[in-house]
Amino acid sequence: MTASAPSNTLPTDKRAGKYLTFFLGDEEYGLEILKVSEIIGMQPVTRVPRVPEFVRGVINLRGKVIPITDLRTKFDMPVDEGRDACIIVVQMRGVQTGVVVDRVSEVVAIAESEVEDAPSFGSGIRTEFLLGIGKTGGRVKLLVDIDKVLESSEIAALESAVASGSAAA
Amino acid sequence: MSNLTLDDAATLLLQLDAGDTEDLSRLREALTTLVFENTVPMTAQPHVARAARLLGTIIDGSAEDASGVFTDVSRTLEAAVSAADSASFAATPKRDESAKKRGAAPVASQPVAAVAEPIVAAVAEPVAAPVAEPDSAIIAEPAVDTTAAQNDELIEELPSDTDLDLLGDFLTESNECLVGAEAALLELEANPAHEEAVNTVFRAFHTVKGTSAFLGLSRVAAFAHEAESLLSRVRDKEIAYTQACAELSLASADMLKALLGEVKDAAAGSGRIAIPAGYDVLLQALISYDPAAPTAQAVAAVRAHAAPDIAPRTVAAEIVDAADAAAAPRSTTPSAAAEQSGRRRTDSTSDATIRVRTDRLDRLIDMVGELVIAQSMISGDDELDRTKQHELVRKVTHAGKIVRELQDLSMSMRMVELRPTFQKLTRVVRDTAVKAGKEVAFTVLGDDVEIDRQLADLLGDPLVHMVRNAVDHGVEGPAEREANGKPRTGSVRLQAYHASGNVVVELVDDGRGLHREKIVAKAIEKGLIETDKGMSDSEVFNLIFAPGFSTAEKITDISGRGVGMDVVRRNLEAIRGRIDISSAPGKGTTFAIRLPLTLAVTDGMLVRVGQERFVVPTTHIHMSFRPEPSMLSTVVGRGEVVLLRGELMPIARLHTLFDVPDAVQSPLEGLLMIVGEAERRTALLVDELLGQQQVVAKTLGDALGKVPGISGGAILGDGRVGLILDVTETVALAQGHGPTHVRHGAERARHVYAA
Repeated sequence: MTASAPSNTLPTDKRAGKYLTFFLGDEEYGLEILKVSEIIGMQPVTRVPRVPEFVRGVINLRGKVIPITDLRTKFDMPVDEGRDACIIVVQMRGVQTGVVVDRVSEVVAIAESEVEDAPSFGSGIRTEFLLGIGKTGGRVKLLVDIDKVLESSEIAALESAVASGSAAA
Repeated sequence: MSNLTLDDAATLLLQLDAGDTEDLSRLREALTTLVFENTVPMTAQPHVARAARLLGTIIDGSAEDASGVFTDVSRTLEAAVSAADSASFAATPKRDESAKKRGAAPVASQPVAAVAEPIVAAVAEPVAAPVAEPDSAIIAEPAVDTTAAQNDELIEELPSDTDLDLLGDFLTESNECLVGAEAALLELEANPAHEEAVNTVFRAFHTVKGTSAFLGLSRVAAFAHEAESLLSRVRDKEIAYTQACAELSLASADMLKALLGEVKDAAAGSGRIAIPAGYDVLLQALISYDPAAPTAQAVAAVRAHAAPDIAPRTVAAEIVDAADAAAAPRSTTPSAAAEQSGRRRTDSTSDATIRVRTDRLDRLIDMVGELVIAQSMISGDDELDRTKQHELVRKVTHAGKIVRELQDLSMSMRMVELRPTFQKLTRVVRDTAVKAGKEVAFTVLGDDVEIDRQLADLLGDPLVHMVRNAVDHGVEGPAEREANGKPRTGSVRLQAYHASGNVVVELVDDGRGLHREKIVAKAIEKGLIETDKGMSDSEVFNLIFAPGFSTAEKITDISGRGVGMDVVRRNLEAIRGRIDISSAPGKGTTFAIRLPLTLAVTDGMLVRVGQERFVVPTTHIHMSFRPEPSMLSTVVGRGEVVLLRGELMPIARLHTLFDVPDAVQSPLEGLLMIVGEAERRTALLVDELLGQQQVVAKTLGDALGKVPGISGGAILGDGRVGLILDVTETVALAQGHGPTHVRHGAERARHVYAA
């Protein structure tokens, strides 16, 4: 792997860096490590009424109540209750949110040269949540733009931050 | 009234005597303003401040010999006037070092020496009294040397009537200001054009000056005044911020810090403020500061006298404070030093405070709450029940006690006294009474009751409204009162006390009271009710809180309590307060506000709907019951209603509103919970009550935003999150939503109150 990638800080290769990879079904995704604040096991989730379906509910994170987004629901993938899911807690601009994924894999460094733009699949398949596709280590890793995922969750509090966030996309 | 000049104030005082507390307090305010606004010459400020202080003792009744003190006030004010006069005629171009000033000096210092202000050791010295020094500034080098030599002897006494609480606040605030000023000064050094930094320093010196003058700390005030003047010249671009100016300002900040340290010592000990060495040198350097010529001289003077003295002293003071160490070397008179170091040891930690960001505090409280839950999980563990190891059980119990104590402690950190909130109302009462031509005696009881900081802040506005109403509409005019055989002066009493885990704030007046008939008539006219049959007095009185009940032109017809009472109630509900009225015609009215101790903890009823649990704040629950079949009916085939004791209420199914599966469908198998006020009363259908619980309310996370019908979440006993119902919103949801409910403003009201 290219250890030189993180030190290369030209504005053009925003997508290079370290990613935490996780699985949804057989697909491997990557999430910018700097946005991850911790990984916790599945917790009892309290459902919240009158919110979009992909918001599973809220959990108690050591005394703090944080909302949980289900990425499978978000990506229109079938929900498979049997899997040993876990929660990645991400922190963006001071706001903590949990995302439910099937399983966390590893941390990899990805160079800009290893990232390709997400191909277009035509209508019906949503790729706007992807920063690109990483090809490190002989496997395809879908690099998730978590800001966009949660932004389009109609998360009101994040709207104001859109402007600054879009620079990264 | 704050526009009074000093002369006006003196004239006004002549017309008053010691009994006119109202006018005297007005005068006191005016004087305070004069001091703070810089509108009187510096030589007069200590007198004015002293006069204001003395007036304070008369007003709050702490003066033992009111008329004696009163005479003292007029004398002090005269001194102030003559000081001001001589200053203004002699030294109009204040910093102009002309010969005219030299002649004026003795005139100006005359009244100063005559003041009763106990500048003990200093009075004898020709140039010692600091307030006189502006004018003696030109007695240049030789004078500086002599004063410097005598400086160590300078002692000022703390005014005997100093309010120690106030002094403590002053010291804390001033020290904060100075720390800010120091940072700004350093910033200025790097960037002399930084205007905001100049302003910061200026404001810091200004604050210290104003408050210290008010407290009668004339030397601190005099010094801060000169330091402020220097900065104001920089601010007004009169002089440039040069290196010399910077040195001088920094030395001034140090000197002020040293002075404050001495004041603190004095407050804790003998009441004698030892003026730090170098005081006069610096003061004169400030006064005579001239950007052109004597810069080098001034700086040299500062460096030579002040720097070596002040710097180590300040440092030493900090060390002693922090470590509570004993006799750090101090450069006061040897005898005083020994005495002071002894005193230091006793007081250094006494009422030290530290400011903490509230979010950190909240986080701490959260963590402690979590600890309580974790602890109860351990102590409730089955293993522990079965174990034969009594030692282990004992240890767990012990840890539990510590955790609970920790919880109490963490809760208490948010609490503040109600005193500041109540104090503001004294002014409101006075102003309103004057405007309305009433005579009102205002008493406050229980202002030491502690309440959550946030609540205390939010309670202020509703109270102002209510107090104003009580004075304006509740209390009758003096003539009417006498005609009714009451004392001329009405009484309004504000009291706070604890009652069953709540804080109750009562506003009691002895005015004309509420008239049930008039309120009923008005409410019928407004279409709020159809008849008052079956309504208790308290229900009738509560109608005055209904939106739209009172319109401006009609209030006084209904024994007052008008404009904006609905706003008052809404504000109080926002802080989960409940307000009750009791009143007797001709006898007066009592408003009782029941508040939770803190907003952090909610008294909630835990209810189950399907497999989900919700917390309903108990303040909103009127009652819960399982209905009989005969009580239920439907309206036009759709809306469900329940008839309880003649009151018809719509039923809202919580499981429908919140989409909960597997919930009880029939009200006959579940429970109806009556929530909401007046025309919005609604029966919520829930499966069962799980019990009452105090919960810590939290937001659902910023990322989720506002969820309709839910006000937040709470960590329940098992560590899971329970949702707290926003009752008002839930009722609105139920009424504005779906086919279940009867609606229509006036018609609804008729339903509710039809007997």
